[in-house]
Amino acid sequence: MTENSDGAFIEFKNVSKNYKNIRALENISFMVEKGDIFGYIGPNGSGKTTTIKIIVGLIQDFEGEVLIRSKRVRKIRKDIHKILGYLPQEAGFQRWRTVSGILNTFGMLSGLPRNTLKKRIQDILELVGLEDVKNKKITHLSGGMVQKLRLAQALLHKPELLILDEPLSGLDPTSRYQVKKIIKELADEGKTIFLSSHILSDVQNIATRIGILNHGKIMKVGRPKDLQRDFKVGNDLEIIFSEGSKQCNDLDKVPGVESIEIINTNKLIAHLSPNSNIDECINTILAKILEQKCYIRNFNLLEPSLEEVYLKYVGGNIK
Amino acid sequence: MSLWLLFINEMKSFYKSKVMIVLWIGFPVISILLHYFQVGSEEMPVFALVGLIIASLGGTLATVILSTSIVGEKKEHVYELFLIRPVKRRNILLSKFFAVYSCLIVATVVALIFGFVIDVITSNIALSVMIKDTLKSVAISIAAMSISCSIGILIGTLSSSIALAAILSIYIGNQLSLISIMPSIFFPELDPLVFSIIVGVVATCLIWTLIILIFRRKQF
Repeated sequence: MTENSDGAFIEFKNVSKNYKNIRALENISFMVEKGDIFGYIGPNGSGKTTTIKIIVGLIQDFEGEVLIRSKRVRKIRKDIHKILGYLPQEAGFQRWRTVSGILNTFGMLSGLPRNTLKKRIQDILELVGLEDVKNKKITHLSGGMVQKLRLAQALLHKPELLILDEPLSGLDPTSRYQVKKIIKELADEGKTIFLSSHILSDVQNIATRIGILNHGKIMKVGRPKDLQRDFKVGNDLEIIFSEGSKQCNDLDKVPGVESIEIINTNKLIAHLSPNSNIDECINTILAKILEQKCYIRNFNLLEPSLEEVYLKYVGGNIK
Repeated sequence: MSLWLLFINEMKSFYKSKVMIVLWIGFPVISILLHYFQVGSEEMPVFALVGLIIASLGGTLATVILSTSIVGEKKEHVYELFLIRPVKRRNILLSKFFAVYSCLIVATVVALIFGFVIDVITSNIALSVMIKDTLKSVAISIAAMSISCSIGILIGTLSSSIALAAILSIYIGNQLSLISIMPSIFFPELDPLVFSIIVGVVATCLIWTLIILIFRRKQF
């Protein structure tokens, strides 16, 4: 791990966790900076929830060290609730309770003053879109509404750090959009957000940094663009010809070109050999196209999608 | 602070639950019926019988309610959101105990007062004797229900299946709660009041020590 730990809001140092004979986390180290939206992605059972439970203090018997604002999480467990809001993946509510009743209890347990609590609950319910069901019992809420209530209780005491475990699961497309918007707005206010998901699309548009976890190991941490760039530097070249341009031949004979994939009459992709000199190869291809008097509309070095990066790391190909 | 908040939280649900409504009505009805039919004998006075039946019925219900609700809440991960806040683990369970226990005490006292009033109107027994016997019955019932409620919490803490918790509560919880009553029934020389209170307090404390030790180690 080459990251500089200065300014880290959360820092994991060689953390491991076993459940009896199962190794849930293996020597993981990473950091989350203040103001980050840190997307923590990995398949089901990869150790995301275990990581999160360590941060929020629900798991205390682990190896290694976890620091929040440079303080050991084990030492500040009693005070951590003041700065931390937690949306658990599974946590339920007592079914006989009403939405506002639950928020009232959690608000008081979090130490919010009674005189401001009612107004705060009203604001939060409006923010997450639950104001119409505030007097309904949990047993009458849909799964999506319960998920929004989990988010509401996490935001209630205006924490600096939000730990969201699969916050978009169970939400319909409109609610997913709303929750993503709320997360972005909270980050704009300077809050640090740690967001886990097993679905890449949940995090790729909003995360400023991403950590990929598989089988309890951190496979990669970085900004989305850096992950894409580091993964594979433009080994595919997309060439789009002008309408009516004649076919260009013999591009597969250019040194460094592995194969040519014809997408349609105007578009092809040249797959370059990983060991080739990319600049030299591109120049040769270009020269070949001009030599045959073919007209180019677009010429583009393709970057891998984040999905490709993710699949590569969790798909079992990385050793 | 957290214990009081959690207690109020639990109370709001329990006092108006269907089970409690049955007890609010059922206990006084049992008391009236026993007094009306005068089922007591010299070996077992009516007041002792009222205490025994109410403690047994109420205790069984309390054990089942507490154990199954704790297992259900554990399964639904309800406690996670409490535990990330400044809430002591034991207070989550203590609040349940006090809520159910205090509702049962009120229901028992109401039932015995009901019976007492009927006795005052209908019987020739001296008032001082009746007051003494009523208080005895109240104390015996309260001691037995304290054990029942504690056993309900213990079973809920240990069990991971609602069905198992219910079965254990019915077959074990109720029988154990009667340890505070049985000896004074079969050995009349023992003072039932003193014996029930001592056994109730000691057994409750022992069970709670076990509960706190187990619940502290639970992983959520």
